[in-house]
Amino acid sequence: MPTMDVDGKKIAWEGKKMILQACLDAGMEIPHYCYHQGLSIVASCRICLVEIESPDPKDPAKLVKVPKLVPSCQTPAVDGMKVHSISPKSIANQKAVMEFLLLNHPLDCPVCDQAGECHLQDYSYQYGRSESRFEEDKAKKPKKDIGKHVVLYSDRCIMCTRCVRFTREISGTGELAVFGRGHREEIDVFQGKSLDNPLSGNVIDICPVGALLDKDFLFTQRVWFLKKVPSISPFSSGGENIFIEHNQGRVYRIKPRFNANVNKWWISDDIRYGWDFVHNNRLQTPVAKGVPQELSAAQGIGQLDQAVKKAAAGNAGSTMLILNAFDSTEEMFLAAQWMRRIDPQAWLVVTEPKIDGQDQIFKNPASGAVTHIIYAEKAPNRRGAEKVLAKLGGNVCKLVDVPGKIRAGQVRSALVLADPLGHADQELETALVGLETLLVLSTRPDGLVSQATLALPVCTWAEKSGVFENHAGLIQAFKQAIAPLDNTRSTGSIFWDLMDLAGTYDAAAVRHMMSEAGLAEYDAVALPEHHETIELMQFTEL
Amino acid sequence: MAFAGPVLLKRIPDDPAKRKLINIEEYIATGGYESLRKAQSMTPDQIIQLVIDSNLRGRGGAGFPCGSKWKFLPKDIHPRYLAVNFDESEPGTFKDRYLTDYDPHVLLEGIAIAAYTNRIAVSYIYIRGEYHRQARILEKALEEAYARGIFGQKIPGTDIAHNCYVHRGAGAYICGEETGLLESLEGKRGWPRIKPPFPAIAGAFAKPTIINNVETLACLPYIIEHGADWFKAMGTASSAGPKLFGVSGLVNKPGVYEEELGIKMSTLIEKYAGGIKGGKYRAAIPGGVSMGVLGTDQYDAELDFDIGRKYNVLGLGTAGVIVMTDKTDLVVMLRNIVRFFAHESCGQCTPCREGTAWMHKMLNRIVAGYGKPHDFDLLMEVGLSMGSMPGTTICGLADGANWAVRTFLQKFPEDFKARLKSDQVQGVTLDAQAAAAV
Repeated sequence: MPTMDVDGKKIAWEGKKMILQACLDAGMEIPHYCYHQGLSIVASCRICLVEIESPDPKDPAKLVKVPKLVPSCQTPAVDGMKVHSISPKSIANQKAVMEFLLLNHPLDCPVCDQAGECHLQDYSYQYGRSESRFEEDKAKKPKKDIGKHVVLYSDRCIMCTRCVRFTREISGTGELAVFGRGHREEIDVFQGKSLDNPLSGNVIDICPVGALLDKDFLFTQRVWFLKKVPSISPFSSGGENIFIEHNQGRVYRIKPRFNANVNKWWISDDIRYGWDFVHNNRLQTPVAKGVPQELSAAQGIGQLDQAVKKAAAGNAGSTMLILNAFDSTEEMFLAAQWMRRIDPQAWLVVTEPKIDGQDQIFKNPASGAVTHIIYAEKAPNRRGAEKVLAKLGGNVCKLVDVPGKIRAGQVRSALVLADPLGHADQELETALVGLETLLVLSTRPDGLVSQATLALPVCTWAEKSGVFENHAGLIQAFKQAIAPLDNTRSTGSIFWDLMDLAGTYDAAAVRHMMSEAGLAEYDAVALPEHHETIELMQFTEL
Repeated sequence: MAFAGPVLLKRIPDDPAKRKLINIEEYIATGGYESLRKAQSMTPDQIIQLVIDSNLRGRGGAGFPCGSKWKFLPKDIHPRYLAVNFDESEPGTFKDRYLTDYDPHVLLEGIAIAAYTNRIAVSYIYIRGEYHRQARILEKALEEAYARGIFGQKIPGTDIAHNCYVHRGAGAYICGEETGLLESLEGKRGWPRIKPPFPAIAGAFAKPTIINNVETLACLPYIIEHGADWFKAMGTASSAGPKLFGVSGLVNKPGVYEEELGIKMSTLIEKYAGGIKGGKYRAAIPGGVSMGVLGTDQYDAELDFDIGRKYNVLGLGTAGVIVMTDKTDLVVMLRNIVRFFAHESCGQCTPCREGTAWMHKMLNRIVAGYGKPHDFDLLMEVGLSMGSMPGTTICGLADGANWAVRTFLQKFPEDFKARLKSDQVQGVTLDAQAAAAV
């Protein structure tokens, strides 16, 4: 493996890499603004300039000092190279670039959403000077509403053009461009257009400063209060890796989490902004025949247990469990196990996820390379549900056959794990409402809840742990971000108790049970690393 | 040193009243397009060797050897392009315009020779946006040349049909930087490219591309006609051949004059430009404002490619000499120069985008009378951190701004220090800028 010496540290890399990328991969920071691994290299911010000594091609043992500073983002790493990112010349340049960038920056950190996760702040802390030598007036640039989700504070912009490159190279929509020239230039949308594409929110993440901000998150929370929890998208079959960022039991935003094999750095706006079902329109009391019940959690579970047992008594094969592809595989496994314990011939069904047209494939218009896919199937775990059903076998039927089975009197009671997004299937609902016993576990107060014999509140994915299996069969774990809302429990914990298992619900223990039942792949699921707070930069002592 | 008379300007009379546009008949009648025919009887390698032997260095500013530039083209990658850099936007520079105003066909013949030598499929004459008249002249001359089969035909011995087009810029200085030019030519924003790849490997439309200045190409027919030794007999050892010098500023006869490289600036001013106008020589810019300034004691500086090393300026540049006298306000002069760079900075690299504007604002304040003693060092420092270390920015614009500021401050410190008063209070900036804006 080739190695180079960066400020006295040995950095190794594989394949062809630029100096900056090799350093970043090895966990070493060289300051940079315009460089982003997922975008083309423009080498225009000029803060990543370093001094290098390169091996002489004729005599590799000899190092030749390159007389000028080179952009580390654009200069390939060479075996045996020496890089000085904290030499006096490199630091002088870093300081100069910081001073230049801050000349016209409004320095309004106290009212800026980016404060706390701003590269300008971080590097200013490390390289900046404590007072400005700029006595003139700062250039004034406007605040612009450039799209459905994004607002642009032009005065804070440092013209790294990451956002412009994103719309050109990743979303392929090219709404953004640089207008004007020199210090008067600004990022803007073309006249009459707006930044309106299904990936638009990503420009907020890649903006290193507070220029592009999220309208949805704007002024709702200081970022240093937020805790980051690694999770998986609960809305689509892509299995996009995300962070849930929350504080005091409330989710504030969702950010993409890098996964080279799944979503890289990006997520779609559906995922980024689709989480309001966590806090809005939640069922928080048990409901029986449309009447809210004052029941403790244990009482509610007891009633559910009684109702299913009563319906199953003497009528083997007349009960049904309807799973949905939004619950974790562990929960579905437990629920199905329990159902089969009471009625070994219980019917198992999984709802059909909503298919929203075709998969949306984004390509780089220049190279034709696929940059991102938004999957049409809008549920995270259809494959997990199918795996559970296939493993347990026996009476398994398709969703389309359910109304027929009910009308024929074959099925007389059902336990429904309701869809948290509330997609309705009119024919199915009409059939279910006519059952003798209809039991519902729901996050929402609408849908079947008011018609149910008994409906119990459960919690959303943000309030529990588990695994989802994506469209490609990749099993990925997500962690609980916030505590369950008052009076709700996770579906998993309800069935854990119903199965009389010791202790409290433990997704890993269920995965172990699944593996023993023949689903070996579930025992080996790697848990995502936990990030308690925003990653802090590692400062080099200067 | 053997300059027997005008070469590039031989068809253009000294008397302004007698000058007129030379059409193709007149051009051919005076030996035009003979060199092209002669070139086509030679092999490309012979021509490249001849150009290398003649020591023809680029006339656009950097002085890069023309033959070596051609040799960088990778073999067997086609199509290849030639971009003619006619984005003559450097203040004080108007030599290519002058040549084209009267003798456009010498450029076209040079293009045809370069195209034959390098197997060029398409030549683009990238002409400055403001040069309306010259673009029309070239288009008409091209029409004439097409009618004679000089363009549009297969290059002898190949299957490559060579075409030539005039492409007008949109008025940006930065598009004279060769990769900025290529971006603009491709229809993009004229932001200089990061290198590598160099244009010879992947230039216009990602194909091998040569970029030559108008005057460089205009030298080719004469080198073919008279040979390398004739060309090298003019000029100095390192700087061969004749050169167009544009003289402007405080002289009696501003204009374009042809002399061999290496003549003294004093000779150029006194023999050709009619001497200093109303005053005493104080300073001069050797070749476009980005080259910096020559001091009062550097009146006799030899104008050749070694001028940078010898006289603490960036280089010869475009040889557009701007003369200043003891009546010139050098602080205002520098303010105007920096204003130009601040206006023309493309905005890509941080140091140039922010630094040029900062220096402009600072100089505005100094001109308005609100300069402070520390402004001198600060101006110097900003200039240095923008371009002292080559490589600080993608292209040379920041470096040019730095050289202008630095040499003015180094060579004329007293002019600036006299403006920097110590008794100014904080808070006058707004007034100062308002005053400067008027």
